[in-house]
Amino acid sequence: MITVGDQELPWQEGLTVATLLARLKDGHIYAVVKLDGRLVSRPHFNITPVPDGARVTLIPMIAGG
Amino acid sequence: MTTMKTTTLKTLAYQRRDVDKGYTNQYLDVDLSAGTISVGTVEEKIKKTFIGGKGFDLWLLWDAVKGENKWDDPRNAVCISSGPMGGTPAYPGSGKSIVTSISPLTGSVIDSNVGGYFGPYLKFSGFDALRITGKAQGDTVVVIDGIEEKIEILQIPGLPEDAYALSDVLTDHFSQGKKVGISVISAGPGAANTRIGCLNFSWYDNARKRVRYKQAGRGGIGTVFADKGIRAVVARWEQVSLKTNNPADLEALKAVARCHSREIVELDPKQNEMARLGTVHLVPIMNDFDLLPTHNFQYGSHPGASLIGREAFEKLFDPGYDGCWKGCTVACAHGVKDFVPYTGKYKGKKVFVDGPEYETIAGCGSNLGIFDPFTILEINFYCDAYGLDTISVGTGIAFVMECFERGLINTNHTGGMDLSFGNRVNALELVHQMAAGKGFGAIAGQGIRRMKGIFADQFGADPAMLQDIGMESKGLEFSEYMTKESLAQQGGYGLALKGPQHDEAWLIFLDMVHNFMPTFEQKAEALHWFPMFRTWFGLCGLCKLPWNDIVPEDNKDTLEPAKVMKHVNWYADYYTAVTGNPATPEDLITMSEAVYNFQRIFNLKMGYGTRDHDTLPYRAVGPVTVEEYESRQDRYDTELKEKYSIDITGKDTAWKVAALRKRREAQYETLKDAVYERRGWTADGIPTVATVKRLGIDFPEVMAVLAKNGVK
Repeated sequence: MITVGDQELPWQEGLTVATLLARLKDGHIYAVVKLDGRLVSRPHFNITPVPDGARVTLIPMIAGG
Repeated sequence: MTTMKTTTLKTLAYQRRDVDKGYTNQYLDVDLSAGTISVGTVEEKIKKTFIGGKGFDLWLLWDAVKGENKWDDPRNAVCISSGPMGGTPAYPGSGKSIVTSISPLTGSVIDSNVGGYFGPYLKFSGFDALRITGKAQGDTVVVIDGIEEKIEILQIPGLPEDAYALSDVLTDHFSQGKKVGISVISAGPGAANTRIGCLNFSWYDNARKRVRYKQAGRGGIGTVFADKGIRAVVARWEQVSLKTNNPADLEALKAVARCHSREIVELDPKQNEMARLGTVHLVPIMNDFDLLPTHNFQYGSHPGASLIGREAFEKLFDPGYDGCWKGCTVACAHGVKDFVPYTGKYKGKKVFVDGPEYETIAGCGSNLGIFDPFTILEINFYCDAYGLDTISVGTGIAFVMECFERGLINTNHTGGMDLSFGNRVNALELVHQMAAGKGFGAIAGQGIRRMKGIFADQFGADPAMLQDIGMESKGLEFSEYMTKESLAQQGGYGLALKGPQHDEAWLIFLDMVHNFMPTFEQKAEALHWFPMFRTWFGLCGLCKLPWNDIVPEDNKDTLEPAKVMKHVNWYADYYTAVTGNPATPEDLITMSEAVYNFQRIFNLKMGYGTRDHDTLPYRAVGPVTVEEYESRQDRYDTELKEKYSIDITGKDTAWKVAALRKRREAQYETLKDAVYERRGWTADGIPTVATVKRLGIDFPEVMAVLAKNGVK
């Protein structure tokens, strides 16, 4: 299992940040996620594996400046 | 208490007026030339039109200066005001001050917002705003003592030169044992010897037992301050509670403050961790999206960025509460203790560095090709101590370094210094020279616009190339975001009233990453709403970070997620609770529109404020050089082929650079047309008579400025 925000989701072999977000209803709007405390940006979503037991927080990233 | 020889030049004893619904309805006027102190009244019409903060500053500044006055004219004023909600301890981000003046960089109005305790202490002492005009003989300190109800102009010779030591000495001297009751504004030697001086606003960090400070950095207001012969302004106040602003509805204030404060405490640790790390999380994110300025904004990413980002500074920051105003739960003003500089006056001594924030890391790090956190810390420390703006220092040195590498200047001009990108030792040496007004630093400290003139006229450099790569607009150095691939952010910088600073509009992610505004009309709408709402924070004494840096978890399900309307509604409730004037979210925009348009017309009064001044260097719009083009060749080739239907078969890169430039520059002009129309301005970028009448700023002097510029 992995935790995305307050929600628990099943983990599967080969899961990446990109495939995880594709499973979520509004996953396309996130440009940054926090994966086990580490920031991952969209250019790295495809190549970043999500390990079993991971905690993922979705960062809105509409601010800055 | 530090002993010092003080001579009292003038004293005004006064009866403090308590704050009523966020206002004292008075301002303090200090004329250093005449040696007078007086108290003015804020009339109801002025309060309603200008709200507070920057609005009050602009009103006082307009009254002080004539259109022909330069920045160093005694008439020029340094105006400081917080706002009706400024000083509220429970609502996050409610301790801001706004400072305005006529800028030595731009020749027109500049405003800069800053934390620290001064603005709230000024208001609680009985004054919504402070205006300082004239010039003193030197060594002058103005003291506003709200407890003893006394204003003094003092002469204190022998004070420390740098702001780091000066704030400490003055806090100790005036505190009468309660240092948390003192806030000091000071500049430093760098402010006196350059045009890019900042002001340091202090607060006392009771947990660490040390004076901390934040900077009103932009536009050289510190230089104006130093030119006035003034060393410091001190405010003294003690007790602060939710009742100190005497809000119209205390219970409503408590309720809305609790909502926002609690939400930040819950969500910030999950999101950007600003209470732990400030804004350093932006470094890796900007780098990943090719938006981190490197090597004078040529490129947007670098492998070394990981060395100067979140992972580096989370190990270096001193843990603890870092709110620059009481009770703020964003508390992002982090610092590094026991840092030991290896150059300058503090070489080998332990110091506390207040910072760095993202802007300083990008400006004095990646943009200089420096990927060493300790050098960034040392530049940060000395800029603050000298009273120099880290953004103008970083962007200015980046320009110098590119000129050096391209052979536009050489060691004959730099006093023998190799100023190639990445040269940490000489970057620091240049900062020391700027502060002293010596060597090549005396030139670099004049800012990019004047450097361009000197390099072309005296060193024989190509003026066209200097214009393309010198990252200034309106005379102000760019803050640290890459705008090449975001037309909306080009507008955010190019159409900003004071010059390219991101506090007016930061639209890169909304535009480039999220593609929320694909059409010109949508971009123009964004370039109306966002600058207006961001302006509103500066009218009220508020920090914008709690608005959209920590976002409700259900925000994505709202109609307009970019505006974070849940928080906008809270801000309307907050304003209503303090002032007693019912306000909707739409009202907040209208309040800002009046002040925003007044500032635009103020630019016009000073000889600027038209379309010709809303220009950008081409580096901000697209690739200047073949190397830049080739670093993003796929993107640019695709744009030429698909967006502009241009056959690029067999064309070399130089041809494609020129072809792209023609289209992108035209696109920026089209954006200007759309934004001017949306804002109710003429095609030349001047507010129309109908606009100023709608906003209630049709004062006779305003109408006269419009008429003089052909708008009737």
